[in-house]
Amino acid sequence: MKVLSIVGARPQFIKAAVVSQQMRQVGAKELLLHTGQHYDFNMSEVFFRELDLPQPDYYLGIGSGRHGEQTARMLTGIEEVLLQEDPDLVVVYGDTNTTLAGALAPVKLHIPVAHVEAGLRSYNRQMPEEINRIVVDHCSDLLFCPTQTAVENLQREGFQNVGRAGHSDTASGRCSWFLDQQRQAPLVINVGDVMLDLARQVNERLQREGWGKTDILGRYGLAPREYVLTTIHRASNTDEPENLRRILEAMRQIAQRGLKVLFPVHPRTRKAMEKADLLPLLDTAGIITSEPVSYVEMIALESEARLLLTDSGGVQKEAYFFGVPCVVARGETEWIELIQIGWNRLAGPRTEAILAAAETILREDFAHKPRPDYYGTGHAAARIVTVLSWFAEGRQQGVWGQSGQWGQSLISD
Amino acid sequence: MAKVLLVVGARPNFMKMAPLYFAMVKAQPLEPLIVHTGQHYDYVMSQAFFEDLELPQPHHFLGTGSGSHAEQTARIMVEFEKVLLAEKPNLVVVFGDVNSTLACSVTAKKLLIPVAHVEAGLRSFDETMPEEINRRVTDVVSDLLFTPSPDGDENLRREGIPLSKVYRVGNIMIDSLISILNRIEPSQQEQIVQRYGLTTRNYVLVTLHRPSNVDEKDSLEQILMYLNRLAAQVPVVFPVHPRTRKNIEAFGIEASFRDAFRIVEPVRYREFLTLENHARFIITDSGGIQEEATYLGLPCLTLRPNTERPITITEGTNELVDMSNIEEYSSRILAGHWKQGQVPALWDGRTAERITEVIQDYCSAAKTVPS
Repeated sequence: MKVLSIVGARPQFIKAAVVSQQMRQVGAKELLLHTGQHYDFNMSEVFFRELDLPQPDYYLGIGSGRHGEQTARMLTGIEEVLLQEDPDLVVVYGDTNTTLAGALAPVKLHIPVAHVEAGLRSYNRQMPEEINRIVVDHCSDLLFCPTQTAVENLQREGFQNVGRAGHSDTASGRCSWFLDQQRQAPLVINVGDVMLDLARQVNERLQREGWGKTDILGRYGLAPREYVLTTIHRASNTDEPENLRRILEAMRQIAQRGLKVLFPVHPRTRKAMEKADLLPLLDTAGIITSEPVSYVEMIALESEARLLLTDSGGVQKEAYFFGVPCVVARGETEWIELIQIGWNRLAGPRTEAILAAAETILREDFAHKPRPDYYGTGHAAARIVTVLSWFAEGRQQGVWGQSGQWGQSLISD
Repeated sequence: MAKVLLVVGARPNFMKMAPLYFAMVKAQPLEPLIVHTGQHYDYVMSQAFFEDLELPQPHHFLGTGSGSHAEQTARIMVEFEKVLLAEKPNLVVVFGDVNSTLACSVTAKKLLIPVAHVEAGLRSFDETMPEEINRRVTDVVSDLLFTPSPDGDENLRREGIPLSKVYRVGNIMIDSLISILNRIEPSQQEQIVQRYGLTTRNYVLVTLHRPSNVDEKDSLEQILMYLNRLAAQVPVVFPVHPRTRKNIEAFGIEASFRDAFRIVEPVRYREFLTLENHARFIITDSGGIQEEATYLGLPCLTLRPNTERPITITEGTNELVDMSNIEEYSSRILAGHWKQGQVPALWDGRTAERITEVIQDYCSAAKTVPS
């Protein structure tokens, strides 16, 4: 099986890393194409090294530009590689312009497309990402959904061939998984969230290899379960000085009540704080600021925190992976199930609401709170690669696309 | 005044756009501007259409020309984005299912400009046709969807598109057909038919352009041999796409065809409609011609395994055929045993008016909301 994986922006490196690892394990030939959408070389480089992602085989160096222009340059670059390499299929991740071009180029050449993180919908068409998601899903042959909600979104859009995936034997800690559906594209499958795979893996490595969570925590003078980790970077908060001020005020009051607050500052947020003259608010005993931290450091810090305060989508989920409750400094969230079950609380950019949510959480016993596996079992990448292999084999043998079931196949996770 | 960009790129788009352009010009509060991406750019394919349809020159000609799919799509996106930024339209209207349809609808949506799709909801359910992807993607991003027939509404409903966005307005191509044929005098029509050495109701008109029919030696050869045999019974006229002519030569097929089998240069739109209007029956693999035949009540054999226009079969005069049964079907037609067919509802030449009304309402409603 020869696969071309297409990445370009930070979240895609992370997702591709896990899938890539699995592909190497099964001996698939994977070529990695980096569009250069995030052109900050340092940032990309760090990710490749830290996540053990192979170096890209192709680097298009596209850089930024208007939506149409950027997508267009990617399209031609990707097509060239496709014509040269003639892969069995293309894998794209997430919802950026790289994902869009990565799906449109192969679909026109009749090369099948697999979309990892399919079916996500904010139902806000004013977001360019939403258009990317919709278009890419409708171009894809294999749609790997992270959650049941994503599957249902796709069903509402007319996708009917949905793989049933189930597990058994979970009592013994083992998990099996089977597929049972038509060998036809488009095929929708809930495989779970690759972010869970990676977060678990990195966390285990941190513990096993003694990379020293204590070292990382110690660097900031923190002890496990005794600090609040905060990340703020969303435009709705950084572009509105008043929102930013309210969040910082909440952080200040939390610190004054005795919990340390670690705040790795995103460059955009730092700029916004400077501009609005908000830096003095951080001059409070107990607030520790730092430069942005790497993915591995972030996992270490998240997994040992008492509480997270964030406006990032990924961090909300990671908090849940590690059983850490989270206050969301946004008015809405795409991970609504975490709000419903009470692990996360939606506070918006409002001081009082953030403090009230934090207090409720700190009073509650989370150690025994149920944590359903909304995001799968941490074996998303293995499932993805299994399905990709089946697909490639099925096409080679000419059975793919013909009617009939795949039969029940057990995959031991 | 609401500014509306009408985007066309390839031949099948032009006759869908023309009636809408004129209806909008007539409806004062809309300012329609024509954008031609240049996907089909040669004279007969493009310029002659504009003349036959009495359209003004496009307000923007992007001149993107041919190239690989991605190159073409990419160039269209870049150039169309510039037009959007310069014109800041209230709405973009795209037509049909060509590459320009997809590229322009996605580019507009990424700039948060609303998109209307004329000829929405068509599905062949054949994912190997590039047009099928173009249709699905365009429909799923569009804000207004204009369907020609109830099967289109049903397809959209199944794909989860809210029916509040869907307007069944009829078939806009029929608007063009009616207005053009009305403008050619019967005597003039007769002359056109005679120019090809043909007589009314006594020839078969053939159009084929799909890769599965004309890009593979075996199938092209089989088809040409069949048409040559058919010409023994009734004259056959086959205007060929330049690519098909190239294939015929490259495959070395050019055998000695009967005189009654005429392979001719591409025919401009008004002449083509005239040839259709007077044919005995039609053999095609094109989408629009199935519909025109249904409107004209002419028997039509579609050389494809599927159609995105099933109403031409269930209500009209069309049937799907392959090389194993085409001979039998054409004999039945020549023997006078063919279904009568009827013209589907709303295929009445007033589709453009209905679309214009919806767009007027949409634009005036949108204006009351601060952007």
